[in-house]
Amino acid sequence: MAQPLTLVLNVPETTGDEDLEPSPYEESEVHDSFHRLIQEQSLLVAEEGLELLPLAPDRGYQTLPRPEGAPTHSTATLRILASMPSRTIGRSRGAIISEYYNRTVKLRRRSSRPLLGNMVRCARPSLRLYDLELDHTILEEDEKRSLLVKELQGLSVAQRDHMVRNMPLSLGEKRWLRENSWSPKGKRRGQQDRGGAFSCSSRLRYSCILALHSLGLVLVSGLYAARPWRYALKQIGGQFGSSVLSYFIFLKTLLAFNVLMLLPLLGFLVGVQAAFPPDPPDPVPTCSGLELLTGRGCFTHTVMYYGYYSNSTLSQSCDSSRDSGRCSPGSGSLPYNMPLAYLFTVGAAFFITCITLVYSMSHSFGESYRVGSTKGIHALTVFCSWDYKVTQKRASRVQQDSICTQLKELLAVWQLQKHPRSACGQLWQAAMLALGGLLCLGTTVGCAAAVFTFSEVMMQRGQGVELLALPLVVSALNLGASYLFCGLATLERHDSPVLEVYMAICRSLILKTAVLGVLCYHWLGRRVATLQDGCWENFVGQELYRFLVVDFIFTLLDSLFGELVWRLISEKKLKRRQKPEFDIARNVLDLIYGQTLTWLGVLFSPLLPAVQILRLLFLFYVKKASLMANCQAPRRPWLASHMSTVFLTLLCFPSFLGAAVFLCYAVWQVKPSSTCGPFRTLNTMYEAGTVWVRRLEHAGSRGSWLPWLHHLLVENTFFLFLVSALLLAVIYLNIQVVKGQRKVICLLKEQIRNEGEDKIFLINKLHSVYEGEQNRRQKHSSSKASRSLLFCRSSGQLSWRLLEGQGQFEILSLTLPSGFP
Amino acid sequence: MGQQCLRYQMQWEDLDEYQALTFLTRNEILCIHKTFLKLCPSQKHYKEATLTMDQVSSLPALRVNPFRDRICRVFSHNGVFSFEDVLGMASVFSEQACPSLKIEYAFRIYDFNENGFIDEEDLQKIVLRLLKSDDVSEDLLMDVTHHVLSESDLDNDNMLSFSEFEHAMAKSPDFMNSFRIHFWGC
Repeated sequence: MAQPLTLVLNVPETTGDEDLEPSPYEESEVHDSFHRLIQEQSLLVAEEGLELLPLAPDRGYQTLPRPEGAPTHSTATLRILASMPSRTIGRSRGAIISEYYNRTVKLRRRSSRPLLGNMVRCARPSLRLYDLELDHTILEEDEKRSLLVKELQGLSVAQRDHMVRNMPLSLGEKRWLRENSWSPKGKRRGQQDRGGAFSCSSRLRYSCILALHSLGLVLVSGLYAARPWRYALKQIGGQFGSSVLSYFIFLKTLLAFNVLMLLPLLGFLVGVQAAFPPDPPDPVPTCSGLELLTGRGCFTHTVMYYGYYSNSTLSQSCDSSRDSGRCSPGSGSLPYNMPLAYLFTVGAAFFITCITLVYSMSHSFGESYRVGSTKGIHALTVFCSWDYKVTQKRASRVQQDSICTQLKELLAVWQLQKHPRSACGQLWQAAMLALGGLLCLGTTVGCAAAVFTFSEVMMQRGQGVELLALPLVVSALNLGASYLFCGLATLERHDSPVLEVYMAICRSLILKTAVLGVLCYHWLGRRVATLQDGCWENFVGQELYRFLVVDFIFTLLDSLFGELVWRLISEKKLKRRQKPEFDIARNVLDLIYGQTLTWLGVLFSPLLPAVQILRLLFLFYVKKASLMANCQAPRRPWLASHMSTVFLTLLCFPSFLGAAVFLCYAVWQVKPSSTCGPFRTLNTMYEAGTVWVRRLEHAGSRGSWLPWLHHLLVENTFFLFLVSALLLAVIYLNIQVVKGQRKVICLLKEQIRNEGEDKIFLINKLHSVYEGEQNRRQKHSSSKASRSLLFCRSSGQLSWRLLEGQGQFEILSLTLPSGFP
Repeated sequence: MGQQCLRYQMQWEDLDEYQALTFLTRNEILCIHKTFLKLCPSQKHYKEATLTMDQVSSLPALRVNPFRDRICRVFSHNGVFSFEDVLGMASVFSEQACPSLKIEYAFRIYDFNENGFIDEEDLQKIVLRLLKSDDVSEDLLMDVTHHVLSESDLDNDNMLSFSEFEHAMAKSPDFMNSFRIHFWGC
């Protein structure tokens, strides 16, 4: 501990003190430093006088606690509290500069142990005594500024720029700091340029570097400006807010995923096979317009479908490779094993998509989830609900209505929490929920059964336009059921409006998953069986193409009728000025459904991502036009960032996972057809890989590590068990860490509450002490308005000036050590 | 020319410097420069010209914002806006700005009585501005303020200090999304 300050406090015992809280003197065993500080104050009070200044008449100084226990402070006290070191961020420039000085110091000294003087504020004031001893002078603003400049010089250029950009100062001050913190080396170099033999070349080099730097900046900004639909997205955000914008950003994300998947497919499969076309079949089918809808006809024998790809090794010396045998590799030709390439490329494309998807989902999740963040929804509503992006008057009115509704609904929820429903009401609600759930389950099962039987019926027929019947039925069922679920959700009247939306999404999702599951069984189970001597992979690829096209047509029709016609009806017939709302949930689910179909079909039709890209491009413009013309922003509150996380999670979990399972099953278990495609002679598609590994094993020493690796990792199950066990252990550890963090947060909150009470106690005590002093002085010198200054410095940190006039005083400036709460 | 500033092109060095000191991209800086030139009085270089708070309030980006007077007050110096003040304001509201900067300025904007805290009176003013209608009941106001304080006021002094505000906003990614203006005229 520091040396004790030998001061004596000479405060007379006032009568009212007995029933108040225990005075600091009684707690002296615990709060040693407070005791000493107050002693020191009082001694100096006794030594020097009090300077008194006239007080403005309307300022009182009430610090009586309110009935609920929260105090009201006078404006003067508030201003002092606001100038405390922990509160001065943003208030005074000196405080900003000293704060950033501290941050820069920490940044620079990160590798070494932190100095005790720079320790983070802690509750125990005893530790702060070190601070009191070190800081003997209160630094002036200029000194602080020069210290900051010195610290900034020690950082690297990028860090310095980043630091300066982050400061909440005006641009002129930032410029001053930046200019003055150019490192002395640079200044010296500049001085050298004025004279000396190297001046010409160094100047040239410097100007070259500058030109390159500017060019780089121009390129980056050019790339930034060339982002697709930048202006359109700004327009949508300004007119409709962040929630509708999140749908269009999701569409853009899907576009990026499809491009990412298409590039390896184009490079390694489509391009290569297009350079070595197989013999055309006879008769060559002619192109009628129906191909765009059915995907058959002249599309069948193109790079678009699986059947086009050859099953042998392509090399340049023989352009037309036959099914049987291989051409002798000529000199200088690069053999390209097509089956292997097909398997690996599709696998690699899926793997890359998986990694990107999981990364973006976890990144988005990490941003939107905070430990213990389920509470605090009220502050968020008040402070975050105004979307500053909105620039149109109409949209701002919609926002106001939406915020009003949101606040009222939140209040209703709080009311309900305070006075929960009676048992009767709860029973009724449970019954309604059960009924709704049963209805949805029934609808789902009914739709799945309908698709099952219809597909069986269609298996018998099926040429030409009749093939479109199954996709039409499925799309119609999806659309009808989603409208039904939306209506059901509004009827059910949930407590929380966000829950309503989530329920509707869940139900639609379950329906779509069930229908897609039935279809997958239909394709991989029944179709394979019936088309064994045909080319079933081509058929499945064409089916998925048809599904994509019909789904697109239905989305367009939905936009047309759901939005345009509804708006016309509501304006003309019903004479309402209300436009229909843009239903974000349903639209996003449609996007996810389309993407699932693409992923399901990539194995059988490598160009399907290109079709999806075209679809998404069209969809963007159609939806945007329909939105601008016909819709308004949704009235329901949408937490846009949470929604983006939910969308990405839905894209990853049911959608991508299902497609990956389908792919794995098709590759591992299903016998490929024997008349077409790159795997026609094998038992499963996966065999292409194992056959190659065996060949490598037999071949010789050069590639022998690969079969060994293959044997160790893939065929040996021990490795998989080990990896899964490690993964589970890591997940468990992370859960424990989060639990620990929650406990720490509770403890810290408790501590802050205690600090707050300490602060109130101290302020009250100090006020009462000096009120006592003032009364005492008034009694002694009642007529004279003595002006004296109490200036107290204890190790430079505590200065306390009391200015008093005519029986009242105010605390004008009180800088306490930052250990005080 | 007429009402516009003399059309001084921005120098390369100035543009580079603004890019280094703010979070704005090159295109955004040029766009704001264009908008500023349209509004400022004639016969003056853009670095010396100033805009009044009314002129900045009537920018399309701020016209419908219920807090535009507070924004203008926080970002202006001596009641007027220089070009650099406008740039500083756009930088804080830009997409690339870091959360700590946005939170600091948001605190200053929402502190209506400028006493360093957001107290009940400030919260009530915020809610009134957000709703902007006359039929807001007293009960609603009191309830909302009471709930906000009970959730975010950690040391029980009935007002939000900067660290409490920061704590509440750091938990919410929606704050970053909504405290953004990216359309300054082009």
